[in-house]
Amino acid sequence: MIHPLLPNQLQKTQETMRMAAEFILRPISRKYDKAEHEPPVEMEQLNQAAADQKNSEVEDDSVKSMDLGGRNLWAVIALEQMCWGDVGLFLARPGTGLGNAAIMAVGDSEQKTKWGKRWVAMAITEADAGSDSKNISTTAELDGEEWVINGEKIYVTDGDRCDCVVVWATLNKAMGKTAIRSFIIEKGTPGFEVTRLEKKLGIRASDTATLIFQNCRIPRENLLGGKEEIDKDVDAAKKSFGGAMQTFDNTRPMVAGMAIGLGQAALDMTRALLAEEGYEDKFGASIGQQTAIQNELEMLEAELEAARLLVYKSAWMMDNKMPNSKEASMGKAKAGRIGNRISLKCVELCSMKGFSEDHLLEKFSRDSKILDIFEGTQQIQQLIVARQVLGKSSSELK
Amino acid sequence: MQDYKTEHPFDIRLTEEQQMTWDTLKKFAELEMRPNARKAEEDGMPSKDLLEKFKALDLVSLIIPEQFGGMGLKQDSVSRAISLEALAYGDLSLAMSVSLPLLTASIISDHGSEDQKEDYLTKFSSGSMFHVGLGINNTNALVDTYQSSVSVKDNGDELILNGSKTGIAYGEDAEVFLISGSNDQGDCNLYFVQKDKAGVQIETKEFMGLKTNSWCEISLKNCKIKSSQTLGGHNYSLNYESLIDSTRIGMAAMAVGVCQAVLDYVVPYTNERIAFDEPISNRQSVAFLIADMAIEIEALRLMVYKASALKDLGEDFHKQSSLTNRFAAHYAMKIGTDGVQLLGGHGFTHEHPVELWYRNLRAIGIFEGGAGV
Repeated sequence: MIHPLLPNQLQKTQETMRMAAEFILRPISRKYDKAEHEPPVEMEQLNQAAADQKNSEVEDDSVKSMDLGGRNLWAVIALEQMCWGDVGLFLARPGTGLGNAAIMAVGDSEQKTKWGKRWVAMAITEADAGSDSKNISTTAELDGEEWVINGEKIYVTDGDRCDCVVVWATLNKAMGKTAIRSFIIEKGTPGFEVTRLEKKLGIRASDTATLIFQNCRIPRENLLGGKEEIDKDVDAAKKSFGGAMQTFDNTRPMVAGMAIGLGQAALDMTRALLAEEGYEDKFGASIGQQTAIQNELEMLEAELEAARLLVYKSAWMMDNKMPNSKEASMGKAKAGRIGNRISLKCVELCSMKGFSEDHLLEKFSRDSKILDIFEGTQQIQQLIVARQVLGKSSSELK
Repeated sequence: MQDYKTEHPFDIRLTEEQQMTWDTLKKFAELEMRPNARKAEEDGMPSKDLLEKFKALDLVSLIIPEQFGGMGLKQDSVSRAISLEALAYGDLSLAMSVSLPLLTASIISDHGSEDQKEDYLTKFSSGSMFHVGLGINNTNALVDTYQSSVSVKDNGDELILNGSKTGIAYGEDAEVFLISGSNDQGDCNLYFVQKDKAGVQIETKEFMGLKTNSWCEISLKNCKIKSSQTLGGHNYSLNYESLIDSTRIGMAAMAVGVCQAVLDYVVPYTNERIAFDEPISNRQSVAFLIADMAIEIEALRLMVYKASALKDLGEDFHKQSSLTNRFAAHYAMKIGTDGVQLLGGHGFTHEHPVELWYRNLRAIGIFEGGAGV
């Protein structure tokens, strides 16, 4: 039955998360935007308070470990509301990293038990390889019962504050993507150093680190998914990389959900600021009957709703075990660009109030930019959608 | 946050029945409508044969109560939206030859007095499609969407109508017009106006698209009708805003069908068209236009579903319909224009259907009351 509506139970989740966002995150939004690199201790307290309140929707082990089972739509909705509060603070919340999603997607049961509930970051990007992740240079070499990792990773979200990192490395660079594997490396392992924290346009509450691995030795069993040797069968080898990339089908709806929460926050705040000067919505009226602002806000609201439905659908498909690679990219492409466009337009509509640090609109417009970039840029998402719609391989449509 | 209540989980699967409707109508659209669209446009009307086939689909009599000769099936809005999308996949203008009588019959069925139902629904059931000309579109650009460019003055038992309406299908076949009018209090209602009334003038009109139907404009000069000619009878008060909101969802549903037709046409074309030694779809500038088409079509489809589902729940769907209408107006035309662009000069000629879709898609967000859910 076609019913793209949220049942009462999910609406309750929304309300609970919105409350947390409004009363816990919002009051400290500006503080940590200003105090870049200072860990937001309040987020620890939020975790603690939630853990004390057992069976509460605010805290849930399944979210912490990213083991969502059939609750991806639930998670998108929860996340959307948290990010209505503050994207940067949400990312800085101890306990949830993209590495957790990778472990849950491809880890074995021992790995899930051992690291599933730690705070695990994800290190893929290098100075010379971003979206082109098959071109990474960090190496992994098996030496007896240990892997030896060498290389440098940049732009690792939570890279400084996390407990461990999932690191992508190659067994043999000449072999391309068939040789890429991921490894779990714990903080404090000799040869593993955090060398730099980025200063950023937005999401300043969240740390973005450079990690260096110099002859960093880790146990053999820290190989996450995939075989220790490169498969001689080319198709099988390619499949293993595809498997690693599939983690993104799970995480893209989440990141897209963040952009939707932020977009809604910008629209809500714009309406509130304009209402002080007498603004009212006028949905459905003809162009001649609307002011320019009514017209603009109606269209932005429509765009946001469109993105939201795409994202909900992609998460719902995951819950129902339907392949969702195309839909996850559609949602991420649309939500990423719309979240950014909305927040920038809202600054413009509110004029100097929008541009001013007295309000959070300017911050939303800075935070939103990364959501159109990380977890696959808008252009990478378009590429994935286009290849599927046109039936093309990555060598045909580059 | 939402203001609706439902226990039913989020779901985007067609029911078995909806799937059957979809399959049947989509096949009809591909086999009967699409191949005849260009010819029907040149003729300014569908062929007799095609009209008979439209009637044989029984979509109109399906929803008419049994006592007026129909099948008395209560169709939900989501199912209606699915049918409209499937038909418009064939051709928007031809689809309106079905969606317009269906909408008109639905309106009379939902709001008409017993006498009005007897007079007009029975004829729909017996196969007449165009005996009631629905007049919703305003002649003035700046009139409020939820008001009419026809004014209604109350004069005791009589009502005096002044003004004009346009975009009325098959004026020559109509024996009566059902047109909207606004009174001094700002209430907008529908009124039955007999074609032969004094003060009624009808003029044929042509538009840039939707050319398989003949269109007319009606002008009313001190046209006097009995107040019982109000839809629903004397003193009946229609929720006109809700009616317009419903028709906007209907037009958006049809926009999805046309846009899907554009996408399904440009994919094989750009895959086969060679330039600089390879298919043009191997280039990102071409491929990304197509990716964005696919993204916006899917989004619009979901918006149509959601607005329809809200209406089925009996909840307020005004905002959702407005957003859907806005989104459709913008993206349907973007897809229409990108469709022509992707074919280059070829797209500009009658050798391909994209220029026809371009002209038809310009109606989306403008044409009110062409289909309803």
